[in-house]
Amino acid sequence: MNDLVNAAPGRRPPLLEVIAERRDTDPCDVACEAMPAHVAGDLTSRDETWLHEHTRVCTYCANELRRYDKLDALLSTIGGTCDQAWSPPPLALPRRAHVWYTRVDSPIGELILAATAEGLREVDFAKESSDEAFVARMRQVGADVSHAARSDDAEPAVRQHLERAARELEEYFGGRRSRFDIPLDWGPMPPFQRAVLEATAAVPFGHVDTYAGIARRIGKPKATRAVGNALGRNPIPVIVPCHRVIRSDATLGGYTGGLGIKQHLLRHEGVTIS
Amino acid sequence: MKAAAAFEPVTAGSMASAAVLEPVAYPTFDDALARHGAEIYRYALHLTRNRPDADDLYQETALKAYRAWDRLPCDANHRAWLYRIATNTFLSDKRKTSRLRSLDASITAESIPATSQDNDGRLDAGTLLREVEAFIVDLPPKQRAAFVQRKYLDMNYQEIAAALGSSEAAARRSVHEALRKLRDRFGDRI
Repeated sequence: MNDLVNAAPGRRPPLLEVIAERRDTDPCDVACEAMPAHVAGDLTSRDETWLHEHTRVCTYCANELRRYDKLDALLSTIGGTCDQAWSPPPLALPRRAHVWYTRVDSPIGELILAATAEGLREVDFAKESSDEAFVARMRQVGADVSHAARSDDAEPAVRQHLERAARELEEYFGGRRSRFDIPLDWGPMPPFQRAVLEATAAVPFGHVDTYAGIARRIGKPKATRAVGNALGRNPIPVIVPCHRVIRSDATLGGYTGGLGIKQHLLRHEGVTIS
Repeated sequence: MKAAAAFEPVTAGSMASAAVLEPVAYPTFDDALARHGAEIYRYALHLTRNRPDADDLYQETALKAYRAWDRLPCDANHRAWLYRIATNTFLSDKRKTSRLRSLDASITAESIPATSQDNDGRLDAGTLLREVEAFIVDLPPKQRAAFVQRKYLDMNYQEIAAALGSSEAAARRSVHEALRKLRDRFGDRI
């Protein structure tokens, strides 16, 4: 009977067809398998028809069906008690950062800008990063992510930060701005990296410093390589001008968005690097 | 590097047009919980049959989900995932969920007075309902979970199997076995 219940329509074994004709037996093995399936809602309408035909000729199964239907009614009453409008208890969960992002075009390619209510959190070279990769990376640092154009719930401060970041970048690329004033949100960043980025943010437009120079400035003169690593993970490139940090031998060093972009930004600021 | 494209600033009115690609909406943890939380809580009520335990189970499920959220792929089935976590939490917490804390605190006891009579006026229907409820709570936890999902949350066997981490056939067997036990226990009283 289990096979009957499970069988796909059309591949039905012949047994079920004889159930309807099967005579009174006590106990009847039809009941054992078919009744629970009946109450669980597992029978097809054809199975249900056959089962009911069978109960007309089998007293044992007729009684069983009556019992199971009464049981079903009891179970429904018990289940109905949970359908009251009991709402889930309030949850005490740690607060998550919520990041909204948008995409803008720029002379160095499309950029993803992301902000929280605190300030600008990320500038991403969109070429390197799909929406999905960006969202996944934000989640790894414990932030929820929404597209600013898709959600109406972005706080006004977030929209202001995104608009301001786009405006300041446009002015920068248009040659009308040499420093950025937008508030930044450093997020959950290790103190060393933050010190490196803050020192880097102090390097003015049109000037360069070296990895060793930044290391000295933050009081860790031996940490040249660590400075390079910290800058390689700069979440707010262009605005935190890690492109202004080069090697002591006056070569470019590295750049996460690609050395072409670093070269372009420095040339834009009037700096020539061989 | 490609030629410099026209730079379009984002302004108050043009935020929407600044998106070059139609963005995909990625639900946040709060979105997922707002959407499925009530259903998961109802599942917890059916499993535990009393509100303090259901509250605990729900809280613990939400906290586990919260902690695991960042490792979940963007396109995951949140409903199935939450059912799985709730079921695992329930199954691993046998001490608290294997018995009703007290019969008087059960959901049926809260909702249906024990003095109500059935149509014949002979049987205390409220008492019978409480006994059936207590019997369900005494079923083996996996059987209880499968039974509750099928009977009360209208899930199909594929979903139940996913929540239990078992096969569909095993899920179906559990549901049928629970019903057979209920009939054997209460068949002569109904």
